[in-house]
Amino acid sequence: MAGTDDPVVLIVEDEPDVAGTYEIWLEEAYEVRLAADGDEGLGRLDDSVDVVLLDRRMPGLSGDELLEQIREQGLDCRVAMVTAVDPDFDILEMGFDTYLSKPVDADRLTETVEALLARSEYDSLLREYYALVEKRAALEATKEDATLAESEEYRRLTAEVEELRDRLSETIGGIADDEEFIAAIRGVDDGGGG
Amino acid sequence: MAEAADRDTYDLGDVLDADRLRAVPPGTALLISGPAMTGKDRLLQSFLADGLTRSEAALAVTTSGTAEGFVDDIRERAEFEGRALSVVDCRGEGSRESQELEGGSQVHRVSDPADLTSIGVCITEALERVEVGGYDRGRFGLTSLSTMLTYTDEKTVFKFCHVLASRLDGAGFVGLFTIDESAHDQQTLQVLKQNFDGQVQLREREGQREVRVRGLGGDPSPWRVL
Repeated sequence: MAGTDDPVVLIVEDEPDVAGTYEIWLEEAYEVRLAADGDEGLGRLDDSVDVVLLDRRMPGLSGDELLEQIREQGLDCRVAMVTAVDPDFDILEMGFDTYLSKPVDADRLTETVEALLARSEYDSLLREYYALVEKRAALEATKEDATLAESEEYRRLTAEVEELRDRLSETIGGIADDEEFIAAIRGVDDGGGG
Repeated sequence: MAEAADRDTYDLGDVLDADRLRAVPPGTALLISGPAMTGKDRLLQSFLADGLTRSEAALAVTTSGTAEGFVDDIRERAEFEGRALSVVDCRGEGSRESQELEGGSQVHRVSDPADLTSIGVCITEALERVEVGGYDRGRFGLTSLSTMLTYTDEKTVFKFCHVLASRLDGAGFVGLFTIDESAHDQQTLQVLKQNFDGQVQLREREGQREVRVRGLGGDPSPWRVL
């Protein structure tokens, strides 16, 4: 299973039946890893994990604590909280990207994983977009307009900036809802500093 | 068709008389720029107040001064239904909180202009409130990007603007953001400008304030006295 290009989904769930069902639903399109509790989940986490499905109530290290670890380590993965009750908006502020209310069906699970992967793509496109805009601005700040008009590099950069902007507005539909907005902002917030 | 388009666009031309500000499409983001003390904040408030008198909603994020002060300033310029206005104060004391003022306007407090996630949550709450209140259009103002840049870096502010502009586009709002041109280098301004469809530029010449509009489909307008 290892070594495929499929996105990696880590399922942290203490009920083996539930975890097994999720695995069946996801294993066709994704590389699935299973962890039976928070501590095991921590052990199975690394840079290659794209999405974590995290049961909130587990023995040992809880879902909340594991999430804290993920954010502290700066791992670039998206986390869905799987919960028995509909949580309030503030779970997004806690660092979760979304939630899934039990019972979870196959469609909802797949949709959620796909949406989270789209957000990761949005984050990396936005990073790339900034890098290009910055490069172009550096040219604009140092060169005369006439020189820019003839610069092949400048033309190419401009075309790339336009293309990325279009791709950004297509990814996750240009941030149409609140949850995507908060998640995208948090992507910006986390990526700040350095 | 044409009539529907007219109804949907925003008329900012009463505040600043320029043809291309007469029919600004929803989702447009404008940068209000100029050196210190050229009246950027006043202009921003006038745009918001003008919208409120047209029964549009207004949502402001301020990094200086209190939310109450901001609401009072707007009140002096316009008569409107209190609930149409929400202000997010990014320099609040203590933890994040929301509160309804007498008169119906809502203020949200975040204690740190660099806490973008909390600011985002407040904006979301304010947008929800606007929608529940029956408003389907409105103007958003942020003052200022310059203060945000002193709390966090250019990259973060750039991405924040991009995400915010996308959200405002989704909500059909017009966005107005101020920046102090004299506080940043050319490169930073050039980068941040990328997120905006147009720019309202202010300057002072011989004791008079001058303004011009750039972008929004056209060459820069000539400078003229405000």
